[in-house]
Amino acid sequence: MEEYHSGDEMSFSPDDATNVVKECIEGIIGGVDYSQNKVNQWTASIVEHTLTQLVKQAKPYKYIVNCAVMQKSGAGLHTANSCYWDTTTDGSCTVRWENRTMYCVVSVFAVAIAL
Amino acid sequence: TAFVVDEVSGIVKETLEVVIGRSQFEQKRVAQWTSSVVEQSLSQLSKLNKPFKYIVTCIIMQKNGAGLQSASSCFWDNTTD
Repeated sequence: MEEYHSGDEMSFSPDDATNVVKECIEGIIGGVDYSQNKVNQWTASIVEHTLTQLVKQAKPYKYIVNCAVMQKSGAGLHTANSCYWDTTTDGSCTVRWENRTMYCVVSVFAVAIAL
Repeated sequence: TAFVVDEVSGIVKETLEVVIGRSQFEQKRVAQWTSSVVEQSLSQLSKLNKPFKYIVTCIIMQKNGAGLQSASSCFWDNTTD
């Protein structure tokens, strides 16, 4: 993948976003076990913190962040995304994370604002 | 040209009925199902010919007693999106 440094303001970097997401997840559910009482707080915190960090980059984008946390119990989980957008400016990234008791899948979608 | 929630929910529900309907969970077919659901929903949405970009996500989970929680947060224009 080529990187255009002069056009940095106008492109979405999936790698940067992936790092932002990983840090947020680690910070919130890093060393904890699945807890039914706390899981709704966790998902809300993960999406809000991720969004805040992305918005701080001050790029001309709208963002959508999705987070799913699932207890590890042998069940199968499958997810898919499909996007109808401008492939030259818009982008997404998905991070899959797990620990001993749960899975966490976070997707970030960035849609360019037409100026 | 506004985003009509009911219209879009209708399209998605119909797509789910057509693709999965009354089938049982099958590990071999679930990848096809999620792909078909998002692709067919997207193509029906783009046929509405509205000036929107769309993102469709689909999660399929087997009923097995496990807990699943999901959340989403959006930074966009509340008046149009």
